[in-house]
Amino acid sequence: MLDDYPETLMNIEWHNPSFTPGNSDFDIPEYSSRASMYGVGGIPHTQWNGVQETVGGYANGNWQAFIGTFTSLYNSMVGEETPYEISINGYAGSEVSYDVTISMDADMSNSNQKVDIFVVEDNIWSYWTGASQYHNARNVARDWLTTQDLTISTAGESETFSGTFDMDEDWNADSIKIIAIVQNYVSKQVYQVTAVNINDMNPDIDDDGILNGEDNCIDIFNPGQEDYDNDLIGDACDPCDNLVYILGNLNGDTDENGIPVIDIMDVLSLVDFLIFDDSYECQDPILNINGDEFVNVVDVIALVQSILNGDN
Amino acid sequence: MNKIYYLLLITLPFAQQLDPVDVALDELRTVVETASRSNQRVFVDDFTGLL
Repeated sequence: MLDDYPETLMNIEWHNPSFTPGNSDFDIPEYSSRASMYGVGGIPHTQWNGVQETVGGYANGNWQAFIGTFTSLYNSMVGEETPYEISINGYAGSEVSYDVTISMDADMSNSNQKVDIFVVEDNIWSYWTGASQYHNARNVARDWLTTQDLTISTAGESETFSGTFDMDEDWNADSIKIIAIVQNYVSKQVYQVTAVNINDMNPDIDDDGILNGEDNCIDIFNPGQEDYDNDLIGDACDPCDNLVYILGNLNGDTDENGIPVIDIMDVLSLVDFLIFDDSYECQDPILNINGDEFVNVVDVIALVQSILNGDN
Repeated sequence: MNKIYYLLLITLPFAQQLDPVDVALDELRTVVETASRSNQRVFVDDFTGLL
């Protein structure tokens, strides 16, 4: 099935240590964590997008008998709408650096949403003792690199998770893939998955000469890496670059020349924050007009005075 | 003060009138957003063994 749907069906083989020959390195410690997540009692056990499972039924590799069940599960899930898209890029050497970027095209709560990143090795010709035959092991789990909280929740947002891992000398470098998923750790629902061979990763997505891992705007061409507020997010992709969201310009508006405008609307924004706790990205550093320890009505007065005095 | 009342009276009937162009744009936006929505791929955790 994997070869039938190479773009839309991805798997990871978790090998049970109790059913792994002594001369095999297919079992990894992370097996128990992943298995306990689903309450896996024995093998074979498949878990489809985290929520549909098949247990047993195809001992000794006789999974052909399950092809109808598997196909049905696949068809019931593939193509459903999801707010997430995943891209994986990076650079592959003896050490592999990766950048997994999650982007959203619809809103969804980030509560209990996590990003898992795995390393797998595909197409390992191996002897299956139970079935007394050689077979092609597909996408065998080699490492569970990380599990991170997903913080984005709104259409248009994106978040990148970067890291590195070392290539094991026993791995076939041409068959190593990175798999990234977005999964809810309460419902176990997998909302999206992407896999990429490490040799197919793009080390410099925006082609600005700065490798992804060192680029302060990974997907925007900014060879100069300008960063006005030194927050490690380049001005080209930093909505809070302190050029527009300066002290007092709480609504972030500008005139036709891009100069911040501080006026009565900013006073209303400050009042909204005080009464309704209604604030948005970039406001936090610029709410405290008088620079004391608190954001309160005194800041409203200070802002009004500032506007009336024409200080801005 | 009366001028304000007259002004309100005149503007009220138009307050909820939607521009048909806006309606068409909203419909177009919905179509485009739906068409460009990401599609779910399928991920299988396969718990297995070689023995």
